[in-house]
Amino acid sequence: MSSVELRGITKRFGAVEVIKGLDLSINDGSFTALLGPSGCGKSTLLRIVAGLEQASGGQVVIGGRDVTGAAPAERGVAMVFQSYALYPHLTVEQNICFSLSLARAPKAEQKAQAARVARMLQLEPLMGRRPAELSGGQRQRVAIGRALVRDPEVFLFDEPLSNLDALLRVQMRLELAKLHQELGTTMIYVTHDQVEAMTLADRIVVLDRGRIAQVGSPLDLYNAPANRFVAGFIGSPGMNFLPARVTREGAGLVAELPGGGRLALPMRALRGAGGTSEVGIRPEHLRLADPGTGDLDGRVSVVENLGNTAYVHVETPAGPLVVEADPGLRADPGMAVGVRVDVGRAHVFDADGVAWPLAA
Amino acid sequence: MTAIPMEAARVTRLRRLNVAGGALTALIVLAAVAWAFPLYWGIVTSLKVEQDVVRPGVHLIPERWTLDAYTYVLFNSQIGRWYVNSVVTAGAVTVLVVAMSAAAGYALSQLRFPGKRLLWWLILASFMVPIPALLVNHFVLMAQFGLLNSWAGVVLPQLIAPVTVIIYKQFFDSVPRDFREAAVMDGATELQLLFRLYLPMNWGITTALAIITFIGAWNTFLWPFLAVTSEDMMNISVGITQVNDAFGVRYARLMAAALLAALPVALVYLVFQRRVTQAIMLTAGIKG
Repeated sequence: MSSVELRGITKRFGAVEVIKGLDLSINDGSFTALLGPSGCGKSTLLRIVAGLEQASGGQVVIGGRDVTGAAPAERGVAMVFQSYALYPHLTVEQNICFSLSLARAPKAEQKAQAARVARMLQLEPLMGRRPAELSGGQRQRVAIGRALVRDPEVFLFDEPLSNLDALLRVQMRLELAKLHQELGTTMIYVTHDQVEAMTLADRIVVLDRGRIAQVGSPLDLYNAPANRFVAGFIGSPGMNFLPARVTREGAGLVAELPGGGRLALPMRALRGAGGTSEVGIRPEHLRLADPGTGDLDGRVSVVENLGNTAYVHVETPAGPLVVEADPGLRADPGMAVGVRVDVGRAHVFDADGVAWPLAA
Repeated sequence: MTAIPMEAARVTRLRRLNVAGGALTALIVLAAVAWAFPLYWGIVTSLKVEQDVVRPGVHLIPERWTLDAYTYVLFNSQIGRWYVNSVVTAGAVTVLVVAMSAAAGYALSQLRFPGKRLLWWLILASFMVPIPALLVNHFVLMAQFGLLNSWAGVVLPQLIAPVTVIIYKQFFDSVPRDFREAAVMDGATELQLLFRLYLPMNWGITTALAIITFIGAWNTFLWPFLAVTSEDMMNISVGITQVNDAFGVRYARLMAAALLAALPVALVYLVFQRRVTQAIMLTAGIKG
């Protein structure tokens, strides 16, 4: 087990700077997810930790040891690739033992280690098969086994579940969570899927165009996003954003929405000079009401019924909103509705997208 | 009402197809016979008595069957020695060409080093130079090295094989980068990457290239004919020209020698044919 420290990491590909002076400290034994959209630099960052990519600047420290210039195999890390990268000409057992075989470990030791890993991952009946004869989930487990056999200080996962179907993904997510509980090893997990990050990680690093947008626990990121990017990226369906003009009124703040709507916000203070802002509110913090009785009025455009919940798309003068509603509630397209806003759970972002502090 | 005319049209169409298919089959059979006839003619000639061979007229089936030509070639020539020379030189050419091409292809495909692009262009350019154009240079060079009439002299000029380098490079290029990176994470050195990963993952192409190279080296005539003058250093393709006596060319013996010379190559191909197909399929599977 080891902590990972990234100090002032930059990475340039030609003239393009994909990682811009990034500092990050990953605790020993934590499960950290690097989350962000395509092209945000999360995989590059993981590859820099792995040693597959050299940083243009900065330091990589693993377990207190500066490994910036060290070869990948000398860093004490193991990586599970998105494609699994199982060697097609080798059996499951040979795949698992490959690193030991390269290091010329005695055959008996290789066998024993492979058996240990196979027991952990329930791979015993598959040891003689080749990757082409395995299902997606089995291949995934072999890829994890190959990493596991090296007893690494840090596990690196590069979007390991993205090639699996939805059902298997949920199952493998659970297995990964159990594995982390069992091993307690530091794990760094790259994903663009916020559900994976929220469910697996105890700490999420959201990356935006080569910079850290926010670091925190899944709930911190969900409930107190530091900026509009994080607010919009975390949560599915995403947060609703409404343009607003925020002014002080009495002891509180008031957001004036296009079309005449007004929301009284329990914000602590007006940041800067106020003015043009955006109000963000998650679908579950909105409620449908009778027309004229809510904070906003609008018309239903689309209803997505998921069985356990429903998402009602409402067109309001302030902008479109997605409202989470009871699936039993009758709401048909074209119907006039009111929308009640839980203002205590609303977020306000200034013109630069930075979140205002929430009410105490 | 429309069912009967439609059925009639279908029958007509099928009949037309049958006629076309039959004509095509006949054409293919004819082409196959034309292709196989010289082979058949060689075999029957080798089994005839010499007087029958030169007798006027076409005799598709020998009137008198005999193995005299084979007995003569096997016991009155140095064919055993020529076989050994061919096995050694063709085997050496195969092993060296495959090993050097795989290493060169790997370096050009996976390594970064100064002059890589220039080297690649040189290899591509050498592909455009016909080997016969270099015969005089090769002869002078081998003579200066004192390698004429030796196995090394026969083998060395045959090691110029830019095509195999190009093929290896292209196959290694198509191996997904993740395999290499996974092995690097596992601690593989460049040599281990080549011998434990890239070559085994492309063993199909190695088998195919080895067979093609072996057949080419076995059948090669011009260079061994120039590089070797002593009969006991000849390989089999050159040696068969020596199967004549004071009475001039003996066709039955010549055919018997030619067939004995071609036999190992035919066997190699027959034995490995299925492996080549299987190997190419496997290689395609990796890419998928």
